Amino acid sequence: MFQTPAGAAEEDSCPMERVILYSLLEPRGSGKTMYGMLQRIALSQICLLYSQLLLSSSCMLTFFCFLQLLNCILRELLEVKDINKNVLPVHLNGLLQTDDRIALKEITRQLNLENVVGDKVFVSVYRSYAVCFVPLQFIACSLFYCSFQGSFAENLAFLLEALKKGDRSSSRPVLFILDEFDLFAHHKNQTLLYNLLDVSQSAQAPIAVIGLTCRLDVLELLEKRVKSRFSHRQIHLLSSLSFIQYLDNVRSQLSLPQDFPDTKFHDEWNDGIKTLCEDQLVVDVLQRHYSSSKDFRSLHLLLMLALSRVSASKPAIKPTDLLEASRVCMVDSKANILHGLSILELCLIIAMKHLNDIYEGEPFNFQMVHNEFKKFLQRKSHSIHNFDKPVVIKAFEHLQQLELIKSMDSSTAKIQKEYQLVKLMLDHSQIMEALQKYPQCPTDVKQWAMSAFG
Amino acid sequence: MALSKFQHSVITYICLEPRQQRCSFILCSTRFPMETMFDGLFLSRYLNMSVEGQEAVTTVTPGQYILIEGNDDDNPFVAKLLKFFGDESHKQKKALVQWFLRLSEVPQNKMLLLGRSPHPQEIFYYLGRACDDEINAESILGTVHVRQDNSPASVVPVYSSFFPFCPELRKGLRNSVCFPIQATPSTPRTPCHATPSTPRTPRHATPSIPSRTVPARQPGNILEEARARLHVSSVPESLPCREQEFQDIYDFVESKVMDGTGGCMYISGVPGTGKTATIHEVIRCLQHASDMDEIPTFRFIEINGMKMTDPHQAYVQILQKLTGQKVTADHAAALLEKRFSNPTPKKETTVLLVDELDLLWTRKQNVMYNLFDWPTRRHARLVVLTIANTMDLPERIMINRVASRLGLTRMSFQPYSFKQLQQIITSRLIKVKAFDEDAMQLVSRKVAALSGDARRCLDICRRATEICEHSASHPSSAGLVRMSHVMEALDEMFSSSYITAIRCASLQEQLFLRAVIAEFRQLGLEEAIFQQVFVQHQALSRVEGLQPISVSEGLAVCQRLGACRLLLLEASHLDMLQRVRLNVSQDDVLYALKAVRD
Repeated sequence: MFQTPAGAAEEDSCPMERVILYSLLEPRGSGKTMYGMLQRIALSQICLLYSQLLLSSSCMLTFFCFLQLLNCILRELLEVKDINKNVLPVHLNGLLQTDDRIALKEITRQLNLENVVGDKVFVSVYRSYAVCFVPLQFIACSLFYCSFQGSFAENLAFLLEALKKGDRSSSRPVLFILDEFDLFAHHKNQTLLYNLLDVSQSAQAPIAVIGLTCRLDVLELLEKRVKSRFSHRQIHLLSSLSFIQYLDNVRSQLSLPQDFPDTKFHDEWNDGIKTLCEDQLVVDVLQRHYSSSKDFRSLHLLLMLALSRVSASKPAIKPTDLLEASRVCMVDSKANILHGLSILELCLIIAMKHLNDIYEGEPFNFQMVHNEFKKFLQRKSHSIHNFDKPVVIKAFEHLQQLELIKSMDSSTAKIQKEYQLVKLMLDHSQIMEALQKYPQCPTDVKQWAMSAFG
Repeated sequence: MALSKFQHSVITYICLEPRQQRCSFILCSTRFPMETMFDGLFLSRYLNMSVEGQEAVTTVTPGQYILIEGNDDDNPFVAKLLKFFGDESHKQKKALVQWFLRLSEVPQNKMLLLGRSPHPQEIFYYLGRACDDEINAESILGTVHVRQDNSPASVVPVYSSFFPFCPELRKGLRNSVCFPIQATPSTPRTPCHATPSTPRTPRHATPSIPSRTVPARQPGNILEEARARLHVSSVPESLPCREQEFQDIYDFVESKVMDGTGGCMYISGVPGTGKTATIHEVIRCLQHASDMDEIPTFRFIEINGMKMTDPHQAYVQILQKLTGQKVTADHAAALLEKRFSNPTPKKETTVLLVDELDLLWTRKQNVMYNLFDWPTRRHARLVVLTIANTMDLPERIMINRVASRLGLTRMSFQPYSFKQLQQIITSRLIKVKAFDEDAMQLVSRKVAALSGDARRCLDICRRATEICEHSASHPSSAGLVRMSHVMEALDEMFSSSYITAIRCASLQEQLFLRAVIAEFRQLGLEEAIFQQVFVQHQALSRVEGLQPISVSEGLAVCQRLGACRLLLLEASHLDMLQRVRLNVSQDDVLYALKAVRD
């Protein structure tokens, strides 16, 4: 089926994987085609930052998929020899460096400062011990020791001194990239941000700070003295793609690149993709996705689901694959859970729905639900026999565990289970839809659900 | 406490050197009761003190070189004893000395005047006027041997002469890394620079960023030159528009330095109004004046509340900058307390700049209390300049006893007016013709109307030069920065991004925003629950002829809007019951959506 090129045989045990890899996980190509114009703007700005790294600067990028974009810009820049040798990039992430202390250690590590001095602040005990071939537990000990070496205050003083020592003409520019920038703004006193931005605004070591965030109001998080030091350069990466461009992107994402080794398969695959993108069913599916969200992460998810249905025996994407993938993407998670409930649990849900109708969304407790359920059993039920109360309580608890109902009281321990106030976390439409699809649902239960009042 | 070590060492020294007891002066420290053996006429020449319960005594003769208690244990002062005398009441034994400076005490700028690299154990003749040459006899620690070198004495003009000497400290003083004078065995006397110095531990090694391999590019054209000059970090030749403030601060600090007294000053102003820059300028001028020998020398120390992790670190940083010691916060506080309250000879005025004062607030306010209390001590000779943003900070956060010690010497930096901002830009671009006159005025008017922040003003100008450079077909052909470029830069920095974000949102997201507004109108409140909004959303999508989306999808749309803060949401675990608010005004949303539909 697949003619694997000679010499690459050992890694081609799973050729499909390679197709997927080529078409989806190649961020560089995708970055280019995806952003086009936007990328050029951002690139020019960041290039400027670079060219001026002799002067310090700071900059903020706002949008969802910026990191990928930034990474491919960085990769491109680092290919230029001068820049590669002359810039120290430092990557920080607000989700990893949750406070300034950790962030400082990380910066020092990435700048390799801990090896520059044998100072006790950032001594790299591990290395010196390892050379001496001491027993393993000693290394473990020293590592433990190392991680607790140097107080936060010392570390900060150390780093600031290092940055202060540098000047424009002699020291190498440092590029700080702060992912999830908004989380750094929540650190105590915003010490790290103040110091970084202050260094970037004064005649110390040349640094550039790039913050990445999806929050539009990030500047309002900064304290006024921190804000004053920020250069107020913002790049908003908002995608304003039309649907036609969106479709084009889908095509180029799925197509194999020119340098794919197997030309025959390449041509077949790309022709298949071309016809796929013209299919009305596919266009409808994509249109629906486009109207829901324009971002490429959800598109990637959809395409990945469709691609994973491709196998050696079926080497092309069919429109139905995409439809099926779209169905999986769009599915309502709670409706899915409802399908798996027992009939008793479903009855309780319907009882709660009626309570919601009667009391206009006020919280209710188990006893009320049980009464409603008993009324139904007495008056209308033919198919459902009476359950003991403990059984009903068990069913109720199960619903609570599934978080289809949620307790409203904060002090749960004090109130008896039956009288705890709860709320239903389902919409009416979800319940009705689930009932329609529920396998072998008794007719009287359906009628009860549809009747106006219990 | 500090003395006991030296008492011990002095005694050791005596035991080793019995020959020297030809004796006119027997000395020991004040901690022991003492009695005068001679009095009256002979007091100045033959003054004996002995120690009860101590067998060993040390003797010091006028003409000998002595060590005198310094600021800390490891760094005693060196002086030559001229004569002894008693004060009027005969209680206190005083000594007249000629001071010498050890290498570590010589200021860096004076070192350059020497014109050669001095020996680490060399001492220098001190002619400065700032130091009192009368000392308490009790503060003498012991003698030191000083050997005159044969190298020709170099006389340096301006301020003081340097005579090379080489002190050789006798056995007894604790040999520490910090103290460059080495201990040698009592006999024979080896010249000290013949002994190999011990390798120094890198305790004070300074970290540094790796150096660059490719030299920094020099500005190529006028716009790049302008950009370099407009950067906040580039130090202008003069600080325009702050002449009055400069003069006030200068006079204040100068008078305190001249009188050898202390004082506090509080300076307030919004960010970017040149507070720190003005003080640095003042200090630069004063330093120049002291180099010219117009005013006594002084030390300048700077701490910043934002550059420390904890208010108590202020003590550590001050002590480290004063003496180079590295100790814990509590110990540093004790040492500083001692330093500022005890009279020590040879003390110069310290000027302390405390930036971002509000960060030094603690519950008991002891850090602030100490900072403002020390200058009031008689021997402190400390001038404290404090900077913060709020004008009424002392009234707002300080308790009475702290605010009262801060005093009423206050100064407030007003935000720059547009004329001042224009002057700042002009003064930076004095020789570079890069800006159109009108463009400059537009920037300064815009910034003055907003915040009066000079940093912001310079940033906008820099961005405008970049835009100008890009708009030109060729970088070298770019002309002046004009109004259009500045307008573009202002737009980039000040325009709200919310409207663009709404316009670029997907269809369902826009629909959700409309549903939120519809629900708000119906409720008459600015807050709604997701469940209610979702009902509206489904109704709207029916009107628009769209396929209604599921609840999960609706939640995802809502979360996306929440992530970029077009909506404010409660924690997501509340699911359908989370409350939704708009972070933009309803009018803005409607305006943005209307433009889309048209």
